[in-house]
Amino acid sequence: MGNLMSTSFAPECTPLKQKYDGCFNEWYSEKFLKGKSTTNECEDLWYEYQECVRKHMTEQKLDKMLDDARKEAPFENGGALINPDDEKNKKK
Amino acid sequence: MVLYFKHAHSYKHDFPTVSLAYFNRYPNPYSTHVKSTDTVEHFIDEEGRLHQTKIVMKTGRLPQFIKPFLGKISTSWIVEKSIVDPVNQTMQTYNCNLDHRKIVRIEEYATYKFNKKDNCTECQTTVKFSSGFRNTLNLRDRIENWSKNKFDENMSRSTLGLKIVMDNVRERLSRLK
Repeated sequence: MGNLMSTSFAPECTPLKQKYDGCFNEWYSEKFLKGKSTTNECEDLWYEYQECVRKHMTEQKLDKMLDDARKEAPFENGGALINPDDEKNKKK
Repeated sequence: MVLYFKHAHSYKHDFPTVSLAYFNRYPNPYSTHVKSTDTVEHFIDEEGRLHQTKIVMKTGRLPQFIKPFLGKISTSWIVEKSIVDPVNQTMQTYNCNLDHRKIVRIEEYATYKFNKKDNCTECQTTVKFSSGFRNTLNLRDRIENWSKNKFDENMSRSTLGLKIVMDNVRERLSRLK
């Protein structure tokens, strides 16, 4: 981390993504984890980044793939993520 | 056939370092197959926990005997969900492939929990492999076994990659203090 940051799947969105990630990292470690903030303070950067990502997700039908996967096997149950361990125990 | 695989690891770092490193674990020298990551959803729930959804693109490393079924597809997409509880210093993560799901579905569930006594963050991982393929020519068993073996290998590589990122993150966090 620091000098290195991952890129977006859509090259056009990479600068926006990296700006957002930089802001997020700062907010996450300096405020959120320390209980100083309960709202993401990178909203402006987030919306710019999301506008770009959403456009490309639709073009590449990624949003549909994500929706289908969620319908087929939901990732979460109430507020918790589904644990294969729990599923396994249920079946027993 | 469904296979389960368990893995436990203890990272000699505090929770802020481990969780921040997890979110920034790509790129690292062990993740050259990861091409991109994007956050597509984030919110804080009523209990003050941070939820995030990311999509990750990887170049596929699929076995030879699968290729006739996939043709020229060489990339795959992963969804990654995470929930961070800042008060209890815990993080839950969930990773699953988004495509090729009829061939094999690999679901990884992990919990990261800070252990105050030993000053380390403990991670418990369970992976579930399942395939919708009919077991003609033992193909399904072969797919599942291949996936599990590959996963063992990938798991140690991803742990190594994460450790490198953790060292960088710790350095960065200590500079901020």
